[in-house]
Amino acid sequence: MTDVLRVIDFGRVTPLRSQTLWHAVAYGVSAGAPPALSFARPSDPYVCVGYHRGLDEVDEQYCRAEGLPVYRRMVGGGPVYLDVGQLFFQICLPARAVPASRLDALRTLLAPAVTAFRAAGVAAWLDDDTEICAGDRKICGHGAGQIGDAVVVCGNLIERFDHERATRVLALADQAQRAETLRLMRRYVAATPVDTAAFRAAMTSAYAGALGLAAAAGELTATELDRLAELDGRFTSREWLAGPAMAGRAQARRARQVKVRSGVWTFAAESGDARVVASVVRGTVNRAHLTAPGLNDSTEAAQRALAGVPLASVPDVLARFGGPGRQLAAAFAAADGKRI
Amino acid sequence: MAHTGGDDRASWTATPPAGLVQVLGFPLVLDRLYHSRTHMWVLPAGPDVARIGMDRLGTETSGTLAQLSFLAVGAELAAGRPFGQLEAAKFVGPLVSPVSGTMLAANQAVVADPGLAERDPYGDGWLIEVSLSDAAGELPALLSAPDEIIDWFVGKVEDYQLKGWIAQ
Repeated sequence: MTDVLRVIDFGRVTPLRSQTLWHAVAYGVSAGAPPALSFARPSDPYVCVGYHRGLDEVDEQYCRAEGLPVYRRMVGGGPVYLDVGQLFFQICLPARAVPASRLDALRTLLAPAVTAFRAAGVAAWLDDDTEICAGDRKICGHGAGQIGDAVVVCGNLIERFDHERATRVLALADQAQRAETLRLMRRYVAATPVDTAAFRAAMTSAYAGALGLAAAAGELTATELDRLAELDGRFTSREWLAGPAMAGRAQARRARQVKVRSGVWTFAAESGDARVVASVVRGTVNRAHLTAPGLNDSTEAAQRALAGVPLASVPDVLARFGGPGRQLAAAFAAADGKRI
Repeated sequence: MAHTGGDDRASWTATPPAGLVQVLGFPLVLDRLYHSRTHMWVLPAGPDVARIGMDRLGTETSGTLAQLSFLAVGAELAAGRPFGQLEAAKFVGPLVSPVSGTMLAANQAVVADPGLAERDPYGDGWLIEVSLSDAAGELPALLSAPDEIIDWFVGKVEDYQLKGWIAQ
């Protein structure tokens, strides 16, 4: 007899429940409940940070003023703005059923979503960084994690995307970084407004087929309902929101960096009185805004000289601008796009 | 590395690890014990103290490490249960302890720079230090003889290459 894939459509739920429901499912699968494919749509906008990420990456003051709750999820990735224009999906399996290699697990569990996007009419593909794209634009956010003995991979169908607000909720260094981040967000993150019911049906078919499971409408188990109550409390506590103890994290964030999609990011960094705000696309400087005492009339020339330059070659280019250039190169050295 | 003693916790000098060999392109150090399933190594530093880290194959199959977090110093550890979390490619997963005991220290350098665990997995990229609660019962179950460590490691590399998890 074929094992069952529970398909649970939670429908439109509160922002809190749009997170805690699928976490509860993960605990249930960990305890022996059948695998599950679930869907949910948040009724109101909110902000969600990845398990390891600092609250200092979110503009909490803005979020408070706008009435946007902030929650911390148990899977990875950065701070994201979420709203009713996004349909969340989660696939959850026992860890033993998932490849031990995390990258392989991600590819395996995101491939059916790509199939579903295609079935819904979107020319989607999974890039080398396991992001679901159409052309060179990211069309689906994702995160993954092992919760107990279950692995969950989650993502979203972005029907509408508020680029402005998705940028505004982030704590950025200054207006220059905000403008640059918004520009790249508009360029590299796209909505794919397809028929939601058709997408859900395609997801169900794709995941059941890929996993060799028989899809059947499901609901939460008693264990999962118990967990849901606990998770509702945990996710609204200040202690949980603060995140895991990571004494070294502040030191790690020498530059304020924001990833827009894989290989596309902005950063702001300083060295002495020199200051850099730059965007990076696939390892090369896209745009740079430079400030350094003594650079004076050479500022625009230096900015132009950096456009299209591989990050590794930035010190050589800036060396042509003397002492101020070397100071700017030191600021550039703080950026590390591989680990954001 | 060598244990240099201490009153209530281990300390290590920063000398290069002894017994460093290359196995099918991956570095492996033969001066310590290995947990075959989790790719964690255990370097005893006395009867009841050990340092724990992840071997190079473990970091390779995790992807580029973005974040590491550990339980607090003083936390009780159980073999087979998490002592922390690792994030790579937006995937958060447990760092599973190969031994039981009490957390003595977490490597703050590797928290600040997770890439250290990839660049120097057997040296400065260590993860935690532990006071062992059942050394006599648990350490003998780990791989310790150089020949068996190499055989296990070769088998893992070949298996992961076959599965496409690492390059041929």
